[in-house]
Amino acid sequence: MNVCVRLFGAEASAAGLDSITVDVDEPPTCRGVVDAVGRACPALAALLPGVRVALNAEFAPPERPVRPEDEVALIGLVSGG
Amino acid sequence: MRVEASIVDGPLAPAAAFHADGAGSLLVFEGVVRPREGDRDIGALDYTAYDPMALRQLERLARDVAERFGLLALRVEHSRGRVPVGACSFRLAVASPHRKESLAAIDEFIDRLKRDVPIWKSPPGLPRPPGP
Repeated sequence: MNVCVRLFGAEASAAGLDSITVDVDEPPTCRGVVDAVGRACPALAALLPGVRVALNAEFAPPERPVRPEDEVALIGLVSGG
Repeated sequence: MRVEASIVDGPLAPAAAFHADGAGSLLVFEGVVRPREGDRDIGALDYTAYDPMALRQLERLARDVAERFGLLALRVEHSRGRVPVGACSFRLAVASPHRKESLAAIDEFIDRLKRDVPIWKSPPGLPRPPGP
């Protein structure tokens, strides 16, 4: 399934993009999204072990299924405050 | 218990009055933009927030910390967009019956903010991705 993944912070800077569309293995899961991003954008590989996936603006565990209508985002190291 | 959270564009305005009935401790922490980031001088920082997740996480964190430490009131404000050096980009005000709860609450809140609230900062002029 093709999934559009929003990128922020270090991940966006490394990719030079604020979103990336990737082909996620079936059945699509959050873990699968991270794997697919790594395949599609090797520049992000070093950052991916520390990222979490957000589905519809909520953190989601790696095994959570991803549906076509979900908004998907990679949340890496944040730096607010 | 009173809890308020907000994300505003640009630098935070000077702090509004903060109090809570029954409080013996009122603490306000302000984070301001430093003139150096790493080994370079900067004039400002740009804050990017993933909306609406950032505000939702900030509200959740505020409620959780307020309950966990038995606070009487908590108010948190965070900037998005450009904030010049010396200006305030983050403010956390807490009220509790005694000082220890307030001090511990501020420390924990900021640690968790830097882990769970999707807000990023970067100096203007660094390579940035295209888009909004």
